[in-house]
Amino acid sequence: MHSRKVRWLTLFAAITCLLWIAGLGWAAKDYLLGNASGLVTTVETDEAPPPEPDTFRIVALGDSLTRGMGDNEGKGYVGYAADRLKEEGWNLSVVNLGIKGLTSAELLKQLEQKEIRRQLGEADAVMMTIGANDLFMGGETLSRFTEESIGKLEDGFLTRLNGILAAVRELNPEADVYVLGLYDPFAELEQGAETSRVVREWNHKTMEAAAGYPGTVFVPVYDLFQRKVGDYLFTDRFHPNEKGYKLMAERVAGLIDESEGGPQA
Amino acid sequence: MINLVHNEMMKLVGKRRFLIISAIIVVLLSLFTYAQARQSESIRERLGTDDWRTGLQQRIVDWQNRLSSAGQWREQLQIQIEQSQYYLDHDINPSEPGAPSFIRGFVENSAELFLPLMVMIIAVDIVSSERSVGTIKLLLTRPVSRFRILLSKYIALVLSVSLVLFIFGLLSYVIAAVMFGGKGWSAPVLTGFAVRGGELDLSGVRLVSQWQFILQQFGLAWFISLVVGTLSFMLSILMRSSAAGMGTMLACLISGAILSNMVSSWESAKYLFMVNLGLMDYLSGSAPPIEGMTLGFSLTVLAAWMAGALAVSFGVFIRKDIY
Repeated sequence: MHSRKVRWLTLFAAITCLLWIAGLGWAAKDYLLGNASGLVTTVETDEAPPPEPDTFRIVALGDSLTRGMGDNEGKGYVGYAADRLKEEGWNLSVVNLGIKGLTSAELLKQLEQKEIRRQLGEADAVMMTIGANDLFMGGETLSRFTEESIGKLEDGFLTRLNGILAAVRELNPEADVYVLGLYDPFAELEQGAETSRVVREWNHKTMEAAAGYPGTVFVPVYDLFQRKVGDYLFTDRFHPNEKGYKLMAERVAGLIDESEGGPQA
Repeated sequence: MINLVHNEMMKLVGKRRFLIISAIIVVLLSLFTYAQARQSESIRERLGTDDWRTGLQQRIVDWQNRLSSAGQWREQLQIQIEQSQYYLDHDINPSEPGAPSFIRGFVENSAELFLPLMVMIIAVDIVSSERSVGTIKLLLTRPVSRFRILLSKYIALVLSVSLVLFIFGLLSYVIAAVMFGGKGWSAPVLTGFAVRGGELDLSGVRLVSQWQFILQQFGLAWFISLVVGTLSFMLSILMRSSAAGMGTMLACLISGAILSNMVSSWESAKYLFMVNLGLMDYLSGSAPPIEGMTLGFSLTVLAAWMAGALAVSFGVFIRKDIY
């Protein structure tokens, strides 16, 4: 290597050295002394792009069932329903906003978030599962439930469900809303008859509430799990397994396919 | 003095160290850019849209789902969620597509381990190699004081560290620009997030341009690399074998990465240099390894270690018998 070249390299290295020292000093000034420099007060952010017109947008809301907990592939009924629709030639975008352990109160709160409101506003179809965590609350309700305590839970849930459905309708007057019902994971246990009755009543009231909103469809899943519930449950004996989710997915996918009259061009 | 430094730079360039480092960086960068391109492609496939808001919202929900099983990462994840939510609420894209965003993420992730490692390649045998080859005697027979000889070596090291950082920045820009396009220098970045008592403090949050943020990041990365370089420099004087010096330094760096995750209850560990190398976390606003650590504290600790290493280096080198 020529000595002259190295000389230039050394000089250049010295310049970069100064540059980094300046960066370090700037960082120290901004983060240590607290009088931050270079404040940009206004940002020009691009407006959210208009949704692609030829895509059918699905937004899924709700609890661990929407999330797909218990499914080995993690798809859940949302994923399988989307898979089926895609096979039939649908051009889909799927946003799954389900959160494990979400209760109706938490969902109501989630609906206040700006971005979630935007997503819902642009949706063509909304799927949701909600209520299981209100009713079962980690198995607590079941060990010591009385008519009275269940009634109280139901009333609270229905108020919030109405709030949720109204909010969704308000954000998006056109999208089809599919509210999936509950199944009874405890049907084969000792108190199975009791819990099943509670779940049926719960479902019935949910259906009645859904009927109060246009374009809102209650999708029963109780019957799917009624026989041989053990075959369709994950090892936690609570969440559906892959088979269970596929059954649920068939139903929702079928409904979407029917109501929209097949894949749109 | 300038001639001495020049002489040292000649030796370093002659050893082709910069070429090796560049080659390593190029290979790694190609891997990372490719991985990231694939990742964003798979997200787009899954969501069926290009809109970053949808993607970020989905990521937040995904994190929320991991919260319950996150164990010791729970707090970190919670903070990450809140930060992203803040970006979303203020309609700011946390990773504007383009090379600058890639650089920002890459520097953040490589400042603690990768860059110091590159610097070690240069620093760790800067003195010991002369001893093992025997050229040190030639060097010391010149009518120049030992202090000046060592100082010239150290200045050469500082310059090399700066150069390595520059090569790193330039290569990441070029390679990322090929993949993602070169725009986005003036994209806004939110900074000033702080973590107090496990909670995210939003009171100091402000907007800066991406180029400002990146320059500050490089300043901190440079300092981290310099500290590690100085410590390696000391080891290269204390130890005859370069391999031993490299091993020791590596052990320190790796133990630092591990310790940072488990020292939260061992208060005095915060005086160890390796726990303080995560300067980037102060910019991005993630929780420091030990409650109460701040950027100022970490900088002071690192500077103290550096000063100590320099004192030892010069003290030993000047008095040592060379045979």
